[in-house]
Amino acid sequence: MKVLFILLFQLLSVNAAASVNEARKIFNTSKDTHKNAHIAQELYKSKYYYSAVVFAKRHLIETSAYNEALENMIEKLILKTGTDNFTTLNDSILGKFPSPSLAFVHGIKLFKAKRYKEAKQRLSLVPIDHKFSPEARLTLGAIANINNDQKTMANEYKSCIEQADKRMNEAGDKDKLARYFKILSDTCRIHMARSFYENGKHELAMTTYDQIEKTSYRWPYILVERAWTAYQMKDYNRALGLGVTYKSPLLSSYFFPEAEVLSALSYYRLCLYDDALAKVEQFYEVYKPKADELKSLILPQKGSHKFFLELALAPISENEGKSPFIRQLLTQIRKKIIFNVDLVNYKRAINENKYVNSLKNDYFGRTIKAELQRMISFRTKKLNHFIKRLMFNFVNDIHAMSYEMFNIKLEIMSNKRELVYKNKQLIADRGRGSYENVSRKAEQQFYEFKGEFWADELGDYSFGLKSNCETVKRQATEITMRGGQ
Amino acid sequence: MKYIVTLICLIFTVKCFAQATDKDVIIKYKEYESFDLGNLEIKGSVLAPGDLSVRERERKIFAAGLYDRANFVPELEEDIRNLR
Repeated sequence: MKVLFILLFQLLSVNAAASVNEARKIFNTSKDTHKNAHIAQELYKSKYYYSAVVFAKRHLIETSAYNEALENMIEKLILKTGTDNFTTLNDSILGKFPSPSLAFVHGIKLFKAKRYKEAKQRLSLVPIDHKFSPEARLTLGAIANINNDQKTMANEYKSCIEQADKRMNEAGDKDKLARYFKILSDTCRIHMARSFYENGKHELAMTTYDQIEKTSYRWPYILVERAWTAYQMKDYNRALGLGVTYKSPLLSSYFFPEAEVLSALSYYRLCLYDDALAKVEQFYEVYKPKADELKSLILPQKGSHKFFLELALAPISENEGKSPFIRQLLTQIRKKIIFNVDLVNYKRAINENKYVNSLKNDYFGRTIKAELQRMISFRTKKLNHFIKRLMFNFVNDIHAMSYEMFNIKLEIMSNKRELVYKNKQLIADRGRGSYENVSRKAEQQFYEFKGEFWADELGDYSFGLKSNCETVKRQATEITMRGGQ
Repeated sequence: MKYIVTLICLIFTVKCFAQATDKDVIIKYKEYESFDLGNLEIKGSVLAPGDLSVRERERKIFAAGLYDRANFVPELEEDIRNLR
């Protein structure tokens, strides 16, 4: 059996080498105008995907010839190496071929540039049964959402869910692919919920958010959005309960400054001013110094092209002592689809580079080696930039939310002053919890929280605080007047 | 005759003054007096605020509103940016 495997492996290697030699031969001798397409095909056959991309792009730049074989190859190359290899082509090149794959790449590029109208035109060319159909439908839904075209948006998101679910079922045992389409399907649902939220349909938004399973990769991120929905429904106890879910050990990697502000706001709306102020103070005393520490660590490295990537790739133990937020952020980053996809592509490019380095050092070999080096350098910078952007965004978020916390504090001080001037006081100094104050649906049950987070309860917590907003006339201090003589 | 009457009147007046200075009048004030303001009935119409009051100054309302979330468009764009 072992011998059979070795034989098979050698046969494949010989086959790959034969295709590379064929590619070299075409490169050196052919005068055909489509020679770059042929070289790309040969390299693709030998699984030199990144090298094939180089010549496929040259063909797209130099000619207008396009056929089904080329479309199939480009589709596979995008899947194997990522969309960003082709996004570097300019609009006129990406737009001149009747290619659904290139239309998808172009559409995403235009969306990122906020050219929504053109993006919509390009993405509409991706057929419903195409490999990139779920992503294209998701983006079309997002464009309709931004343009407030409710009908188109609902149709596109519905189609996105159907297509992603279909592909998830087709993926079967291929775990990673199935997981990818599951995330995509959940993302489409989340987008629908966000649209309901924006249009004031908060009940519907909450129901749609509830469709996301707790095991979903997206679930921890939407807790804060669900908390906002509860807040808009004036269910401040539920908003507080959702916010506190992030305190569970299972979700300790997820820290969102906005969730802290939302908790303070919920206390404020319940007129529990002291609790709100405690939240504000905690933010200033605990989180802000940690954020400043993180800032001092990353700011000197802002010009580096590889510091952040090395940080992400280093073992967890190495990053333990650096900053309390580093580990949390890196855990969050490692769970992002784009990071994982880019990291796989980066490793594949490095791996291919090893094989390419063993090629003969003629003009053909040198061309591929130089292009591959450029690609690896680009991927290193891209990954590094991705991590850097998330870390700086986090620090900026802390600062922005710190400002919002200050506003809450000001508002509370103003309200307290008003009460004094009007000779009034809140009905109680500090309202405490009771089951009576928990709003719940018929199918929901109560379990008392006893200081332990249970995984199946996460996301279903609600506080039971009574609103303290009723004011009563301040009790007059007894004044004794003495008569004069 | 006219002069005689005037003279008699003058004589009488001087006599009266002479009698008043001779008598000692002692005026006594109350040592303690209390007023029940509650039962004091005041008749008439009010022309000015009767009690001590402070006119309320118009309060400054802070322009900066509290943080609110109108939509999740930035997250929506980020999702598309993070596609494969």
